[in-house]
Amino acid sequence: MATESETGAPTTPSASDRFDLSAVLGDDFYIHAALVGSILLMGLPLILALIMSTQSTTEIYQVTNIGIGSKGLANFQTALTDYHLMQYMVNSFVMASVIVVGKVALSLLAALALVYYRLPYERAVFMFILLTLLMPVPVRIVPLFQLMADLGWANSMLAITGPYLASATAVFLFRQHFMSIPGSLVENARLDGVGPITFLVKVLIPMSKGMIVGVSVITFIYAWNQYLWPLIVISDQNKQVVQVGIKYLQGASQSGLTQWGLIMAGAVIALIPPLVVLIALHRPLLETFALQQK
Amino acid sequence: MPDFTRPYDSKFQAGLLLLPTAVVLVTFLYYPAVQTFRLSFFQTLLLGTKQTFVGFENFANLMASPEYQMSFLISVGFAAVVVVGTLAASLFVAYLLFEVDVGSSTYLVAAIWPYALPTAVAATVLLFLMHPTLGIITHYVEALTGLTFDWFTSGPLAFLTVALVAIWKQLGYNIIFLLAAFNNIPETLTESAQLDGVGRLKMLYRVYVPLISPTLVFLVVINTIYAFFQTFPLVDLMTSGGPSNATNLLIFKLYRDAFAFNSLGKASAESVILFVIVAILMYVQLTISESYAHYGA
Repeated sequence: MATESETGAPTTPSASDRFDLSAVLGDDFYIHAALVGSILLMGLPLILALIMSTQSTTEIYQVTNIGIGSKGLANFQTALTDYHLMQYMVNSFVMASVIVVGKVALSLLAALALVYYRLPYERAVFMFILLTLLMPVPVRIVPLFQLMADLGWANSMLAITGPYLASATAVFLFRQHFMSIPGSLVENARLDGVGPITFLVKVLIPMSKGMIVGVSVITFIYAWNQYLWPLIVISDQNKQVVQVGIKYLQGASQSGLTQWGLIMAGAVIALIPPLVVLIALHRPLLETFALQQK
Repeated sequence: MPDFTRPYDSKFQAGLLLLPTAVVLVTFLYYPAVQTFRLSFFQTLLLGTKQTFVGFENFANLMASPEYQMSFLISVGFAAVVVVGTLAASLFVAYLLFEVDVGSSTYLVAAIWPYALPTAVAATVLLFLMHPTLGIITHYVEALTGLTFDWFTSGPLAFLTVALVAIWKQLGYNIIFLLAAFNNIPETLTESAQLDGVGRLKMLYRVYVPLISPTLVFLVVINTIYAFFQTFPLVDLMTSGGPSNATNLLIFKLYRDAFAFNSLGKASAESVILFVIVAILMYVQLTISESYAHYGA
């Protein structure tokens, strides 16, 4: 084969074999190249932001300068301390953690009732939860804001966590997962006279670990991304979350020049937690998403 | 025959288990949503303390307002660009991932990471990199095309820039679902087509796209909802609705009417219209592909 391709001489035997081989090899190369190209293109803005987060304002103004800047990690330190991003990060962590724990706990309890209890009006209960999919924050934003004021929750952690503690999506994912658990296990639990909470803790939760992690990842990334609602309901800067915190950074200027290096450092900081969570836990996340496709 | 799969029958216990979820949903979702409908029929003054019933006047005023009409059209156009752009790019990357066998798990994370990208971060990063005078991307685009890419003053360019950022952020989610759909296709179906010597691109459009059409419908709906409801940070951080209202999406206009101009009745009417939009989209999704649940709300 090797000599054939070097000389380019036509061959009589296995012409189709040779055709396939070269076509596949060439094709594969182009596919890898196209894939690497697409991935680089998708990641390019992030790589540039990371590089420029190390640059001083003077270096930023040299538009085509893509060397590591003279600031090193100083912009990160300034953003975290002088511009209080550390405080915003802590606030975001508390908010996202409360939402993850609360939503998972509440949804597990609700799914337990939906799957393992003989419920009257089950269809109605199901619809009651399903219909909340039609009510994203913008659909109820004005009364929700007034409700927070009436409850005395405005400007507090309660305001940015409470409304997110329950969701149709999480309940339905756990419900669907529970329904796939073998009936024999349930039958054993029934014969042993195991109570519902023991059944949940000893049987269901151990059997749903991947699912719980997956829902937690989805919820964490979703909670961390919240912007509009905290912007409206939190007016005290110390209590603000990091996504809105990077908006405050945009006001950062030195002798009239916007400090883009500092802003890029802030953007990178605000991206790290969800990115780390995704990279570390992408398997259970993908398995959870796959459950949607039955 | 007793129901072996449902070992418990205490209605009281079941109610207790559902109670926390029900309390949250009623207090923070149903109650404010119903209040939105009520408020949309009132004109409010003094931060909502004084309310006058005006019937459908808020809706009539919105329909007659050129600013609202423009915002509506821009949002529909924006959704169309974002949906088509996101699906085209994601389909391309997901198909490449599907065709690559070796090292695909490394590629996978490198391709789906924008799922974790917060919208505000995406907006901030590209606001700088595409900045008309300081942005390195703008610099090279202008050097290559010889054109001026000043999206701070040009409405259509601002619209495209914001759409591009919206697409970038949404790629990860779409690639995850498209790749899963490709992997669900039975191999026997693709093998016969491969034997017929059908090229890769033809395979994609003739064989794969029809087979994954339920996923495509699902993603069209999800991406449309995203374009209407989750793009607020992009407008707020990049353009503030400008220049000359070219990026004044419905969600941004709603925010300004409610929280900058305190027109609570008018803003509630805008919320009701958004509700109708999401209701239509969810109806389409539930009728066409019942097996999907919705994420992100």
